Amino acid sequence: MENVLLSVSDFVALTNQTLEYAYPNVGIEGEVSEFKVSQGKWVYFKLKDDESVISCFMTLWQLRVPIEDGMKVVIQGSPKLTKWGGFSLTVKAIKPSGEGAIKKSFEILRAKLDAEGLFSPERKRTLPRVPKKVAVISSTEAAGYADFIKIVNDRWGGLEIEVAHVQVQGESAPDQMIRALKYINERDVLPEVIVIVRGGGSADDLAAFNDEQLVRAIAASRVPTLVGVGHEVDESLADLVADVRAATPSNAAQILVPDRQDIIRAVRSQTISLLPMMMRTVDQASNEVRMQLLHALEVVEERLEVIAQTLDSKRSVLIQLNPETVLARGYALIRGQQTVGQTIEVETTQAILEAEVRHVRNK
Amino acid sequence: MSGTNKNLQEKMDELNELIAWFNSDEFALESAIDRFKKAEALATDIEKDLASFKNDITVLKQKFDSEG
Repeated sequence: MENVLLSVSDFVALTNQTLEYAYPNVGIEGEVSEFKVSQGKWVYFKLKDDESVISCFMTLWQLRVPIEDGMKVVIQGSPKLTKWGGFSLTVKAIKPSGEGAIKKSFEILRAKLDAEGLFSPERKRTLPRVPKKVAVISSTEAAGYADFIKIVNDRWGGLEIEVAHVQVQGESAPDQMIRALKYINERDVLPEVIVIVRGGGSADDLAAFNDEQLVRAIAASRVPTLVGVGHEVDESLADLVADVRAATPSNAAQILVPDRQDIIRAVRSQTISLLPMMMRTVDQASNEVRMQLLHALEVVEERLEVIAQTLDSKRSVLIQLNPETVLARGYALIRGQQTVGQTIEVETTQAILEAEVRHVRNK
Repeated sequence: MSGTNKNLQEKMDELNELIAWFNSDEFALESAIDRFKKAEALATDIEKDLASFKNDITVLKQKFDSEG
């Protein structure tokens, strides 16, 4: 190259070709300073450490997490010499580095999305009690996915499950999950639920679930969402924006479908409970019949008593009316024509006498 | 699914109706035994259905690692 004479523009182009060849994609960790967004499109900041500083440039669209001055980040990008003689890194991806920076970025984005109402309880839709068609977004190679499927299969059957296999950690994970969400939401026949699951991991492993665009895509889903990411203690923005949040992938399976064993127990219990109910009804009916019989018997007894009393009373009258009773009181019964010269019969209690009528005197 | 062509939900609904009848004013001892037998058969059928159901899991062929 010693004898080659280049124009300035050619030199810049040649330098950039060399840089592209040498550093097609370089990862650098440093602290952000002088962060600014220009015209709502371009992002400029400096990346520095104790001794050096370098200018960085990226589009706002590529900025997937909140960044602010003082935050430790890792960038992926390529170095470039600009036509104005400046040297900068064209950043393709940036993410917070270290627990403090990840937490800070999480809190900033959480506050921003919360202020927009994305986590509001009024936005939450309920899931069908027993869905028939379900879409799952996960990595089919992940332990969390295996747990989810095992528990769903143990608990319930008859589901149509379509699985969108995606990366669930790493730089490309958010975009893959966003594409899967879009694909599922644009299908002719929509599932009743979209489940997004991923097992436990470090804060960095789970960082994909705090991606702003992914969170917005979940919020915009036409289909209700159920998200179970990490362990119980982990909290991601994808969890917060989901219609239903599960603590873990296993918990997502428990929320998604009922346990068939519970239903079998309930059905058995319901059927068994009918027997005592029937027995009680039979007992009640028997008791009612017995009571009615007793009542009828009482009525009959009352009637008989009345009849007996009436009979006694009549019998007393009859006794009084009996001629023998009258004779016993000293009276006599006379039969025959009561005219002079006729023979009449006189009956007393002791005897029957024949007598002749000798004189009749009118009273 | 075992038994008739009714799906699980229809069988569950029918069982619930039968059980509700036992608690209703329409309950009559004369038909209770028949209905109980029917409820028992339905419960067995539901149990068999629930135990035999399998999920149909399909991994989509669609790739999501790049646009398009």
